[in-house]
Amino acid sequence: MKPSLQIRLVVGVVSAVLLLLIVFSVGIYTVIRGALLRQFDASLVSIAQILAASVETGGEDIELEFEVQQMPEFQYRNRPTYYQLWRLDGTVAAKSPLLDSGELPCLSGSLSKPDFRTIKSGSGRVERVVGFTFIPRLSDDDRKPIEEQPLTLAVARDSTAILNQLRFLRWVLFFGSVAIAFLSVFVAALTVSNGLRPLTAIADEIASIRENDLAIRIGTEGVPGELLPIKDRLNDLLSRLEDAFKRERRFTADVAHELRTPLAGIRSTLEVTLTRIRDINEYQTSLSDCLTISKNMQRMVDNLLILARLDAQQLTFRRARIELAELVNSCWMSFSDRALEHEIIFENTIPVKMTCESDPENLSIVMSNLLDNAVEYTNKGGRIWLTACQTRDCVEIIVRNTGCKLTSEEASQVFDYFCRGDASRANTGDHFGLGLGLVRRIVRALGGSVSAELQDGGIFTVRLTFPNKNVGK
Amino acid sequence: MRLLIIEDYRPLRQSLTKGLQEAGFAIDTTGDGEEGLWYATSNDYDVIILDLMLPGMDGLTILKKLRAKGRKSHVLILTAKDTLQDRITGLDLGADDYLVKPFAFEELLARIRALLRRSFMQKNPRIKIDDLQIDLTTQRVWCNEEEINLTPREYALLEYLAMRQGQTISRTDIWEHIYEFKSTASSNVVDVYVGYLRKKIEQPGKPPLIHTVRGRGYTLGVQP
Repeated sequence: MKPSLQIRLVVGVVSAVLLLLIVFSVGIYTVIRGALLRQFDASLVSIAQILAASVETGGEDIELEFEVQQMPEFQYRNRPTYYQLWRLDGTVAAKSPLLDSGELPCLSGSLSKPDFRTIKSGSGRVERVVGFTFIPRLSDDDRKPIEEQPLTLAVARDSTAILNQLRFLRWVLFFGSVAIAFLSVFVAALTVSNGLRPLTAIADEIASIRENDLAIRIGTEGVPGELLPIKDRLNDLLSRLEDAFKRERRFTADVAHELRTPLAGIRSTLEVTLTRIRDINEYQTSLSDCLTISKNMQRMVDNLLILARLDAQQLTFRRARIELAELVNSCWMSFSDRALEHEIIFENTIPVKMTCESDPENLSIVMSNLLDNAVEYTNKGGRIWLTACQTRDCVEIIVRNTGCKLTSEEASQVFDYFCRGDASRANTGDHFGLGLGLVRRIVRALGGSVSAELQDGGIFTVRLTFPNKNVGK
Repeated sequence: MRLLIIEDYRPLRQSLTKGLQEAGFAIDTTGDGEEGLWYATSNDYDVIILDLMLPGMDGLTILKKLRAKGRKSHVLILTAKDTLQDRITGLDLGADDYLVKPFAFEELLARIRALLRRSFMQKNPRIKIDDLQIDLTTQRVWCNEEEINLTPREYALLEYLAMRQGQTISRTDIWEHIYEFKSTASSNVVDVYVGYLRKKIEQPGKPPLIHTVRGRGYTLGVQP
């Protein structure tokens, strides 16, 4: 399973916040550090320049003006500023008294481009040193020209304070970032869960729908625009499901209903027979009645099973060349006795050589059901006749029988399951309305179509049509 | 007692007819709705057993028309339709009982007996007249604790007279409630059977139980 939408959104938001914080902190730190160091260096350079300006040279003598030496920077005991002055030959011309035996590095910058360096003093303090070489002012006293002698000056100052400030800044930025990161986790979690509430609401609504209460639809109220298509699709799906369930329930109810009547017949026949000791002939009659009902029920259960397999798409179809006339004759064999009993005339005028390619078992089921129905409803002394014709596009088989008591509207509906026309059980009352519904299902599965109509003179006509692409020559 | 069965499923109709005839009822049957309505209106049946899904005319229409014509026969609906709504509709349209298929034949019998007791305002399934006792459930008869063997027809006659004890019942009335449409018997037969019955239930030296009311019919009971 993929991580939940909520977790993904929170992780994304928090990562973005963290990245921004890091960039922001590093940026702020760099800018402030640069500014602080520049400022420190600038003040160091200006002190050095004042110091350089106060150096006077008169031949061998080098003097620093007393006021300059007394500048407060050079007097601090705590974080003092040091200086050191070298002649060109490297000898020390002067240095801060505070330096004692310490030495500053001799740097080789120029006045316009001083050289900087960070050092660690003997006492472990970090100091910043600026150094340059310059031509000192000549003393006013003796105006005799002397050779200009460049001096090298180094001024150093303790930079611990500034480093401490920067360290403090680093800590502030770090802890600030961590705090904001934590806060952003909460804020993001809250926002995301708030934002996803409509989704959870829909999920809850869907979860509350039960199989026996599919009339519920998901409401539009509080559904954000992005979810509307999902809501609509779900509602469509629910409608289709509801219809399917309704059909299923009606079908199940009809099946139960249709099974109850013959069951009542069997039970009642047996119970009445068992109420007393009877003659052997009476037992025989009862048993054979029950047998007939059982056979009818078996036919119905067989049909139900085929229907169930059709629904579950478990029915396999094979293709074989079928001789139509022969198939009809073999199906008729199981009904010929019943037809004889009712003096029904049967005519099969399908041309002997006419063949079609289809599934023989399923076509037999179709034909048997049609013939069964025909025998059931044909009037005594009536007629059942079959014809077939073959065109370039299709092959058509027509089953007709006399004695139809249906109206033309009822005749066109006979393929609905459990449809009963007014006279549908008038003849013997032994028949159950499932066969024709099954016929339509199988014919459709075989790629054909079937229709029924009432023709003049009470002739019930069923037309079976199959595409001719598979029909043999 | 005379019953009408309107049921289109032949095996069930046949077994019901047989079973109920053996239980001492006079039975008329039909498998067609319209014919059923005709039977029901042309005779005063004690109980009509009515299926709902029928060719010709459905059971509920038959029931409505029957009640509209003021027919007071008890109607027991016997159907495979088992939903609550079906039952409510059936009972509200004027049916007196509703039984769902498949059913136990004994239960159907018991319900018919209950309907009959109701028609004659007879709550007790045992009727007592002087020394005579009739058990409507087992269809057995005793006189002074001694069981009397009656033929089904004799029992049917006694039961009908006992249910309406004290009333004068015409020969036609008796004939209509004891015999079926198809029987060839005439109302003279009633006199013959009353004669048989008298011999069996009346004891010498005791006042007679069945009295002939000249020109009107018979009445059962101890007369002052």
